[in-house]
Amino acid sequence: MDPEESRSPDDVVSDDDSAAPAGAWEAPLVGPTDVGPPPPGRSIRRYTAAAANQRGGASVGQLLNDVYYVVISLAIGIGMALGVAGTLREALPEPPAGGVDAGISLPALVAVMVVGLAGVLLSLAGRLGPVGAGGAEAAWWLSLPVDRRGLLRPASRRLPLLAAAAGAVVVALFDTGLLAASDPARVIRATVGAALGAALVVLAAGVGQSFLITRRTTALVGDLVLAAAPLLALAGAVAGWRLDVLPVAPAWLLGVLAVVVALLAWTLDRRLDLIPSRSLRESGSVANQAVGAVVSLDSRELGRALTDGAARARRRRSVRFRGVSGAPAALLTADAMVLLRSTRHLVQIAVAALVPVLVALVPQLAGPVGFLLAVLVGGYAAMTATGEGARRAEMAPVLDRLLPLPAGHVRRWRMVVPAVVMLAWSIVAFGAVGVWAGDLPTWLALGIASAPVWAGAAIRSAYRPAPNWQGPLVATPMGALPTGVTSVLARGPDVVIIGMIPVAIAILLGSVLPALLIAQMVLSAIVVAVSSGTRTMMERMQDTLDQDAAKPAGARR
Amino acid sequence: MIRARNLLVGYGGEPVCAPVTFTLAPGRVLALVGANGSGKSTVLRAVLGLLDPAGGTVEAFGRPVDERETGFRMRVASVLDDDAYFPALTVAEHLYLTARGHGVRDADDVVAHVLDDFGLTEHGTSLPVALSSGQRRRLLLAAGFVRPRGLLVLDEPEQRLDLSMRSRLAERLVQERASGGSVLLATHDPVLLRAVADRAVLIADDECRLLSADDAAAAIAPGVL
Repeated sequence: MDPEESRSPDDVVSDDDSAAPAGAWEAPLVGPTDVGPPPPGRSIRRYTAAAANQRGGASVGQLLNDVYYVVISLAIGIGMALGVAGTLREALPEPPAGGVDAGISLPALVAVMVVGLAGVLLSLAGRLGPVGAGGAEAAWWLSLPVDRRGLLRPASRRLPLLAAAAGAVVVALFDTGLLAASDPARVIRATVGAALGAALVVLAAGVGQSFLITRRTTALVGDLVLAAAPLLALAGAVAGWRLDVLPVAPAWLLGVLAVVVALLAWTLDRRLDLIPSRSLRESGSVANQAVGAVVSLDSRELGRALTDGAARARRRRSVRFRGVSGAPAALLTADAMVLLRSTRHLVQIAVAALVPVLVALVPQLAGPVGFLLAVLVGGYAAMTATGEGARRAEMAPVLDRLLPLPAGHVRRWRMVVPAVVMLAWSIVAFGAVGVWAGDLPTWLALGIASAPVWAGAAIRSAYRPAPNWQGPLVATPMGALPTGVTSVLARGPDVVIIGMIPVAIAILLGSVLPALLIAQMVLSAIVVAVSSGTRTMMERMQDTLDQDAAKPAGARR
Repeated sequence: MIRARNLLVGYGGEPVCAPVTFTLAPGRVLALVGANGSGKSTVLRAVLGLLDPAGGTVEAFGRPVDERETGFRMRVASVLDDDAYFPALTVAEHLYLTARGHGVRDADDVVAHVLDDFGLTEHGTSLPVALSSGQRRRLLLAAGFVRPRGLLVLDEPEQRLDLSMRSRLAERLVQERASGGSVLLATHDPVLLRAVADRAVLIADDECRLLSADDAAAAIAPGVL
């Protein structure tokens, strides 16, 4: 706009410097006149909380009941995890006598996993804020002239405390379960160190947020740390780094760590007023979306919240798709584009491909059980990343509706991108198994034959229906859940369990029998056919019943 | 009061409209008009400090806009498209929260008066979930008037309001101007524009032009934009 054009003779709207008062805050105010100093932010937060508690209808008894359920659920979960880790430890081969000469020791692998988890934590902290105010808080609190410290203090402490608790539980499980540590003092030091480390990561992300480091940057650093973890393990294996026990910080280092955490917490608290409203709003919005997804057991929405929340805001260069011709090509290109534009999913696939390779490098893990778990866990992690295009299409089926393709065909075409990616994953993963088993070609053939199972599972889980929250609820240790929720959440993993039976048998046997290869091909074809279906078995059975009911009595007989 | 110079707004460094320059003095009303997606709301967000400008500068009350300053938040009231409410707080409690958060001592009288002005008296004890879309919009607008302010920023305030409420809103904005307050609003309503605005800026991709209220109203009349 030309400044000359905006010049106005009456100074109503002009670029004349004299139009604005020089006195800055001394400009006149209108509205209520009997005004005192604004209250502290803490009192605003408490006023809101008191009103919510007053109308929440929750008695102290109900609150205690909820706390009881949470504690019991956590205890059951930790107990089960300890049991699984201990069983796994017993199932793994004994460490070689005289230590590990080649590859990576189990403690070294655990150390690398801890580094990877720190990356995940940082990435999550970046995507979720970590300090935020969404929804009503953003709309009604952030515009008030009160100190934001008082408003945001609980929000700023929530994530570091959660991270500390999660870090402590995970490392304690690793140490006592997988590594069979029995020295209580050592386990306590490891647990406290993990808790402090996890809190430090999240608090550092929070301090970074107050220094205007973007959430996207923090998330990217976390993703890179995660991606670096398996590479670090590979480098360690090649360079011959040895680690016989999981390193645990000595007491003095824990003290230093605690001081650093306290300093970071204090710094973040002092700088809460400096976090801009836009950053708080974005973080709060993503956190609200993520919490909503978790509460409604919607992993697809959770993935979308975490991915889109840290996405670059700028418009991307438009691709004209000149080489695309026809509806199937449009679908494939769209799915491939969605995947290629998501750094998080690409990192996820790469890390998942390295899981079996790492197992092959750890003598204590390189056995049937270790490889079976690596193939299933790594494959599942990679598979969920490949179905991003289909997941988005399920939520907003714009392309599906515009293209002249039947729904079944759309699903079959949508399996192509996951199939191609999982084929590449299978070559790496089954290559590692093949090297361990000493029969590379046959294992690669089995991997290629099983790739369609992953593709089918990706599409089946992407197009799964939402749980019916209107239906009857059943009481569980995790609270009331709608009936049928398990079957809904199992769509996708169910075909993996059935479709990978030949692979599982082959890994446990240590060799690929021809019959297993044939069985794998047959099962892959079945999984593709099942995953192409647009209706569930229950819906088809209901249709049959409805048709039977609609027939005249004589015809039914 | 507000001075924007070659203000360029957008996302990720990509501008959504041409640079805009304007100065809004106390006791005046400036409207931003333009087609959907032309960048009106984005300009308002930059003026409110909710978005970093991609270029140029914007000052409020003689200093660069920084919504982290309590002085800025004390003087600038805004009603954007935030359709979010505390589910457990009643209509009146939302307004008390805003009034008391700004240090208003006679909050009871002020809230009662504003509830009446916006036709919400009988809904004062209702929770937001019980309100219609238009009534929730009235609540948002009412929140802008229960607190002291030097500048009122409104993003399409006419949205979801019936004709009667639009007319009352126009009266309130005229009073605001007469009392010495400034108003910066984005609007698609030519009637509201003519009733309250002194001037308008037509926001577009290629050029942002300063127009009289009548010319701007003609520019956004049905069939033009």
